[in-house]
Amino acid sequence: MNKYLGNKPALALFLLPALILYSVILIYPVLQSVVRSFYDWDGLSTATFAGLSNYRELFSDPLLATSLKNGALFALVLVVFQIGLGTILALVCANPRVRGRKLLKTAYFIPVVLSVTVVCQLWIAMYDPTNGLVNKLFDVLGIPYQQNWLVSPTQSIIAIAFVNAWQFMGYQFSLLYAGVKAVPEDYFEAATIDGCGKWRAHWHVTLPLMRETFKFCFTIAITSGIGAFVQMLIMTNGGPGTTNYTLTFMIYRYAFLESNYGYACAVSVLLVLISLVATVVINKVFDRGQHA
Amino acid sequence: MNSKTTFRSIGSFLLQIPLWLYFIVSVYPLFWMISYSLKNNDEIFVTNPFGFPTHFRFENYVNAWTQFNIPRYFMNSFIVSIISTLFILLLALMFAFAVARMQWKFRSAVRTYMIVGMFMPLQVIMIPLALLVRDFHLTNTYGALIIPYIAIGLPFSTMVFYGFLVSIPREIEEAACIDGASIYRLFGRVILPLALPAIATIAIFQFLNNWNEFTLAYILISDENMKTLPLGLLFFQGSYSTDWGAMGAVMTIASLPMVLVYLLLSEQVERAMTVGSAVKG
Repeated sequence: MNKYLGNKPALALFLLPALILYSVILIYPVLQSVVRSFYDWDGLSTATFAGLSNYRELFSDPLLATSLKNGALFALVLVVFQIGLGTILALVCANPRVRGRKLLKTAYFIPVVLSVTVVCQLWIAMYDPTNGLVNKLFDVLGIPYQQNWLVSPTQSIIAIAFVNAWQFMGYQFSLLYAGVKAVPEDYFEAATIDGCGKWRAHWHVTLPLMRETFKFCFTIAITSGIGAFVQMLIMTNGGPGTTNYTLTFMIYRYAFLESNYGYACAVSVLLVLISLVATVVINKVFDRGQHA
Repeated sequence: MNSKTTFRSIGSFLLQIPLWLYFIVSVYPLFWMISYSLKNNDEIFVTNPFGFPTHFRFENYVNAWTQFNIPRYFMNSFIVSIISTLFILLLALMFAFAVARMQWKFRSAVRTYMIVGMFMPLQVIMIPLALLVRDFHLTNTYGALIIPYIAIGLPFSTMVFYGFLVSIPREIEEAACIDGASIYRLFGRVILPLALPAIATIAIFQFLNNWNEFTLAYILISDENMKTLPLGLLFFQGSYSTDWGAMGAVMTIASLPMVLVYLLLSEQVERAMTVGSAVKG
């Protein structure tokens, strides 16, 4: 039996295609990025070793502060909108008395399957200062709040993050809804019988039992905020000026527009480190709650 | 009905209002897109910006389809998504079979090695990958997208297949061995059919991912004739902003296939897209 299942040629045939492709296309480039971040390199001529100079330069680059701030804001919008609002919607929707649940879930999820380009173009049209839906809506509601959404240096990052939040709300909602559903109903009922109000029961019983779901949802929201790129690129090309830069936008600009590959690699490495730290912190935070 | 139950049903009705408000927030922009694809500029901007089109201007669709490169983008997206999805399925299932069912020394190490890729932000490989594609002379070919898409799809798919395959009882191999079936036959005739539900899930997941992938396509493809749909649509920004109706039509055409697939298979699609939480969490 062991001989049958240890068939060497078969093993090679099954393993190697995936393993080689994965190593060449994914792992080797990661190592390359790390190594190249210590070199000055324009992508064509011979690279020269530069030690830590790319990193030193990076930490005095004003774009870094902008990018980190935007990544944090982007992540914050996703957390508040998708996880905050999404959790409330999921709790209400999980109530068996709610009618049309399937219709609601389907409607929330549709934007997830759309192309990000379509969604961004749609929102560019909706944010249009003179003809856009958003300003017209404020107008109709009698709220004098007409904005040039994508041009304002302070609001545009929020407006752009909202597009991502809107598109992937359905995804987070599905996870949260499944999380609520996975909590045994007896627990919740026992709490309400003990005299807890519904919302108190959810707060003390349902939400703590959804720890694993929240861990995953926060990881997704925060890492996609840190790495945000496509929405900035399509909607404002990083502008106005450089106000909407993110770490990924920095990588894109330094590598592909300015041919400063070594420096761009240093930004990539920093991005990975920040994402890793964020993931570890989220795990720690949610696991600590468990033992308390 | 006594007052208490009346109070309760009013309460639960009020409670449901946020759900339907968000329903509008989620769906209205799409309704708006479809309705302006059937209007002219005058109706979009002045006479009827919010409502249902008064007169269906299907000529917007005819214009969109004939004047722009839409059929080409569709074909490119289709070719790239189908081929990469098929290879992901095949390679990931073979890999998962070797790791989950076969007997050899370093299988858990190799499995861990593959898992690492799942946690790697793709931005870190952007630059070396662009150079790799250039050095292999793949720039502006289908290979420039297909090969990276396959590699990127592997870690996640192998983990889902692994989870599925380890749950199959051990006796399967014994029976196949006793029956004299070769290990290839065991894979093709026994394991593959058993894994069909997992294959369907991963197929949906990867197809959607590849169909909508933007960042790598943006970096690796510049030739107009090789652009995939998400990339090709960028072109309309600015250049055709004077004809909003046609732009709406282009966007509607581009969205329709995926929305239809989703409406037909909503539960499978949702399960496919959320399967990650079970694997990564």
